[in-house]
Amino acid sequence: MLLLDRKHALIIAIPQYRLNQDNGIVAGMERSTFIQNAINRKSEVLRVHADDRVIEVDGLFKKYGNFTAVNGVSFGVSRGEVFGLLGPNGAGKTTTMEMIEGLRKPDGGSAKVAGHDTRTSLRKVKEVIGVQLQSTSLFELLTVEEILRMYASFYPRSVPIEPLLDDMILQDKRKGQVKHLSGGQKQRLAIAIALINDPIVLFLDEPTTGLDPQARRTLWDIVLRLKERGKTIVLSTHYMDEAHILCDRICLMDQGSIIALDTPDELIRSLQSENAIEFRLPDQVDGYQTASSAIQSDSHIPPAAGADGSEAPGMLMGLLQHIPGVQQVELRKDTYVLYTSDLQATLTNFVQLMSERNITFTDLRTRTATLEDVFIHMTGRGLREE
Amino acid sequence: MKAYLQLTVSQLKLFARNRQMLVFTLFFPVFFMLMFGFLFNNDGPMSLDASIIDQDRTEASQELASRFGQTGVLNIKTSDTEAAALDALKHNDLGLVVVIPEGYGDSLSKFAQVSEPSSGGTNGGSAAVNAGTPAQIRMIYDSSNLTTAGMAKAAVNAVTDGVSKELVHFTPAVTVAEESVQSQQLSYIDFLVPGIVAMMIMSNNLNGVAGQIASWRERGVLRRMQSTMLRPSSFIAAQITARLALNGVQAVIVLLIGQFIFGTQVRGSWGTLLFFVIIGTLAFMSIGFIVASLARTPESANPIAAFLSFPMMFLGGVFFPIKNMPEFVQKIVNLLPIAHLSTAMREVMNTGAGFASLWTQTLVLGGWMIVAFAIASYTFKWE
Repeated sequence: MLLLDRKHALIIAIPQYRLNQDNGIVAGMERSTFIQNAINRKSEVLRVHADDRVIEVDGLFKKYGNFTAVNGVSFGVSRGEVFGLLGPNGAGKTTTMEMIEGLRKPDGGSAKVAGHDTRTSLRKVKEVIGVQLQSTSLFELLTVEEILRMYASFYPRSVPIEPLLDDMILQDKRKGQVKHLSGGQKQRLAIAIALINDPIVLFLDEPTTGLDPQARRTLWDIVLRLKERGKTIVLSTHYMDEAHILCDRICLMDQGSIIALDTPDELIRSLQSENAIEFRLPDQVDGYQTASSAIQSDSHIPPAAGADGSEAPGMLMGLLQHIPGVQQVELRKDTYVLYTSDLQATLTNFVQLMSERNITFTDLRTRTATLEDVFIHMTGRGLREE
Repeated sequence: MKAYLQLTVSQLKLFARNRQMLVFTLFFPVFFMLMFGFLFNNDGPMSLDASIIDQDRTEASQELASRFGQTGVLNIKTSDTEAAALDALKHNDLGLVVVIPEGYGDSLSKFAQVSEPSSGGTNGGSAAVNAGTPAQIRMIYDSSNLTTAGMAKAAVNAVTDGVSKELVHFTPAVTVAEESVQSQQLSYIDFLVPGIVAMMIMSNNLNGVAGQIASWRERGVLRRMQSTMLRPSSFIAAQITARLALNGVQAVIVLLIGQFIFGTQVRGSWGTLLFFVIIGTLAFMSIGFIVASLARTPESANPIAAFLSFPMMFLGGVFFPIKNMPEFVQKIVNLLPIAHLSTAMREVMNTGAGFASLWTQTLVLGGWMIVAFAIASYTFKWE
């Protein structure tokens, strides 16, 4: 029985730059074929390109007044890799990206893109990167084609517009003004603009934030196709599913620092639990169980009245931790989460325990552990805080 | 170079597609021109509303009343009674009330009879005048309004003088031949149209640039461009070119409207005029860039620009001559770029002035342009 406390987890997770020895498919319970294909594609490309560093970030540091936005971040990105920056809002993802793009001057540290230092040869850096900013604003009254031609004129070399329109599924919008585009189309146009100079590295800052599920899928497919062609992509997101599907390696960020950096599968493996069991107790208010019986209509019984069932949350968690296979128990809001390496044994024992103790539970479900679990495990907070 | 061309063309397309902006920036000055032009562009002397109360109702009194109507200065309105007319005068609906009291015709004919022989005899004239009592009429006017009071007095005196002189068969000893000293006939519209063009250049560029750049910065449009290899100089040069084209076209449109509707002319060279359009555009664009940099948000850029341009619009010799202002105001106004731009445009259009006589305006505008451009490029930020 291994119960990782948070500090301990942090120490375990910090050794980074582990080589991606294992690119096999995780046998997920509910993996769609889409995701499987995505992971297949990722692993193929990764084998082709060896350790050829396109981006080298060393100790980047940025302060705004007293607030430290980025606190000494270091990593490297290999050619052809999709590198994800995953973290909640305000983790420093955008600031980190913009320092690499040369849009912000770091207060310390350095960033090199394709061997060019952003401090000394910024124009060289700009020539080899394509940038999609978090909120790309374009001239609303220009058409898709006009915008592309305009941005093409900013570079000494640019790619033909026709194939770009095809790739970004914008062919029938080429004569349409930007203001008439949907959110997904605008985002695809932003990526088309970022690709106009045939960049070595493509930066995508939260490309799917605010898009509907269909538009997100379309965009994911575009990213994976770009990856197949060998584009190096640095992508920031606060969606863990997006990071898992698209990224070869993920850099988990929180409060300006890297808290973990590895492949998505390795990150989940660091939890040492493949599955999670979730359930809630009825009449649970703010993590404190007030009623124990199944009788909900008349629940003004003081907690002490129910003999066995009126466990305080702490006591209940203690009990749960002793269920076979459980590696960790967490109470998030009103939901109990049991992480287990042996789903079947844990589930059987859990149901038995609850019956013995006469505790009613609701909303029971099991799922595979996700990057979100990794993040919560390491920081105690969710990726998207309400 | 291709970035500069593409950006210029793109900016011109943005202008052409932003109908609201086009309508506002062009129709606003044209509207001002038409409104002020029709309101104040009265050729000849001003007219004065007057009412004649004929209490005598004789042939002589009616003759006198009709003479008042023929002055060309008085705009005769009918009033029923003296009281009603005086009431109207107090409410500024009338500028003058003339009362022809009962007995006017009698006095006049008596006076005529007495003076009649004098016209024949050369010696008895003065004695005869003294013998009769002159007929009297009353004029009531608003003495607080100096202009209308003066006009009223002059008109009434002219009419009565005419009647008197006719009555005594007066032959003037000295006559005055009137000649205008102005070689060209200039009216208010000739003053107004160049001022309107200057105002348009100021507001389009100062307000337009400040608002647009601040909004682009806020929305991250500039930031996106900053992440490309585009050089700031190409961007600014394209902005300048596109705005020069827009302002040149708009200035010509306003001048043509002035010419067709009000018959204003460009007496000097179009080249000189265009030079001042360009230098004015550059000066006010630079000030617009400074405002855009100073403003923290696009919401504050527009009020700041308006705060600068509004006083300049009314004090800078656009609608009213600077010479009519108090001395200390004139000193301040003469430092403003708008004053020199409107003066220069006016001189070129109305008197056909060339650079030789406009070097003060050229220097001041050029100075503003250089200083403002220096500050603008120093303070310009992409984000």
